[in-house]
Amino acid sequence: MDDLDLIRDLGRDLEHEPPASFARQRSRLLDATRRRRRGPGRWALLGVVAAVTAAAILVPVTIFQGRHARPVATNSAEPAAGRAMNVLVIGVDRRVAARPPRSDTLMLVHVPADRRELRAVSVPRDSLVRIPACTTGSGKTAPAQLGMINAAFSLGGADCTARTVESLTGVRIDQTVMIDFDGFRKAVDALGGVRMTLRHPVVDPAAGLKLPQGEQRLNGAQALAYVRARRALGDGSDLGRIKRQQQFMAALVREAKEQMGGNPVRFAKFLVVVTGSFETAPRLDAGRLQALARAFGKGGSVEFSTVPVHPARSDPNRLEWDRAGAARLFATFKTS
Amino acid sequence: MTVPPTAQDSDAALIEGSLTDPESFAALFDRYSAMLYRYVSRRLGPEAAEDVVGESFLVAFSKRHRYDLAQWDARPWLFGIATKLVARHHRTEAARYRALRRSPADGPVEGPADRVAAGVTASASRPRLAEALAVLPRRDLDVLLLVAWGDLAYEEVARALGIPVGTVRSRLNRARRKVRAALGDIDPTREEA
Repeated sequence: MDDLDLIRDLGRDLEHEPPASFARQRSRLLDATRRRRRGPGRWALLGVVAAVTAAAILVPVTIFQGRHARPVATNSAEPAAGRAMNVLVIGVDRRVAARPPRSDTLMLVHVPADRRELRAVSVPRDSLVRIPACTTGSGKTAPAQLGMINAAFSLGGADCTARTVESLTGVRIDQTVMIDFDGFRKAVDALGGVRMTLRHPVVDPAAGLKLPQGEQRLNGAQALAYVRARRALGDGSDLGRIKRQQQFMAALVREAKEQMGGNPVRFAKFLVVVTGSFETAPRLDAGRLQALARAFGKGGSVEFSTVPVHPARSDPNRLEWDRAGAARLFATFKTS
Repeated sequence: MTVPPTAQDSDAALIEGSLTDPESFAALFDRYSAMLYRYVSRRLGPEAAEDVVGESFLVAFSKRHRYDLAQWDARPWLFGIATKLVARHHRTEAARYRALRRSPADGPVEGPADRVAAGVTASASRPRLAEALAVLPRRDLDVLLLVAWGDLAYEEVARALGIPVGTVRSRLNRARRKVRAALGDIDPTREEA
């Protein structure tokens, strides 16, 4: 008899058969499986709905800036309840302290009265447009002029940008939201990164970006570089960049949706970071934003498109809007 | 011991099915709870075993999303979960072995009569064996008892504890060396391994 045999022998002597009362443990397990289905199961479902809806409004918002909003809900009334609303999202580059902030990305988001299918239209920043007379930061009035659309932000900030877009599209803007790069990066990190599949490896030294081909998880800094890079990707144009931004946002919506279902704590953190890092006018705090998100109900999809453009006649490096196409695109923004 | 014969009714298939139909997870309890109970009762006694095994299945249920479906046999996974929970009752376990050390005659009363009357060698060595188990480091004890009492192969122990097979071997060797040293001078039948 070796040592293992002795131990086996001892084990047999110490062994017990399950008693009748052991059946209680089976019931305990069954209770847990049913509780899962009813309790947390429903929670998870609600979570997905809320995530889709929240992400639907928050994600466009996430593209950009600001740190003055407080993440504490104080007023939970839904803005523009029962009405359609249009939100202008402005991504701002304010990383260089010595330079005035510049608008880097522009997107107009239509939130219909039934809060279901959002439409987000990207505006190429190289668009050559007519900028209306705006009040500048120093209080002077700049005359109407022809220029790149992002010059409006340099002239008169978010207000001038909104007025420019309003005059171009004929769409009333109810809300402007600004997000800067830092807020964007933090929001992505709060989500634990975003999973994306790249068809080609991406290397852009100018953006500090080096990503292999295939599926991967982009952290905030990488995601920022990816949505901003324009040199090494596609045709190097702003349109290629816009396409990547839209793909990234779709991935971000999906990620937020999954996190909401699988990791509510992380999602809550994401919400706090996002609401804490944008600037809105009129002021939209976390409570109102959440009320708006809740109002989306079960739908909550976002459809992305881009203002149709062609190279400008006066300067082939600039873009001109296709007026008829743009008019069709924005027609739905004025109704429902 | 139950071994799932085909892929169709394998543990993996059962667990996969429970992802969409949670209540079906109870079938895993029906399959393995008695086996797990016997194992834990050896280490902790009948009262603690009941709760530990019940808890093990609750933990398993909550972690079923992460189960590696390539593994047909869920026993190593369940043993691993149960072993972690047994660790919380470390003192109960040591006291149980020490009780055997103090009164060797009381040790085997829980077993059937023929086993109580097992070999003279076994009875005589039991106090020393029990003392050796009582003082073995937790990690070595887990490996030793999963092999001796859980009937798991080395690879299965490795899966259960999430450690390399080489580590299983070295821990097992160390544990057996200590047990043999404790038994050494009174066990004339021991073999040098």
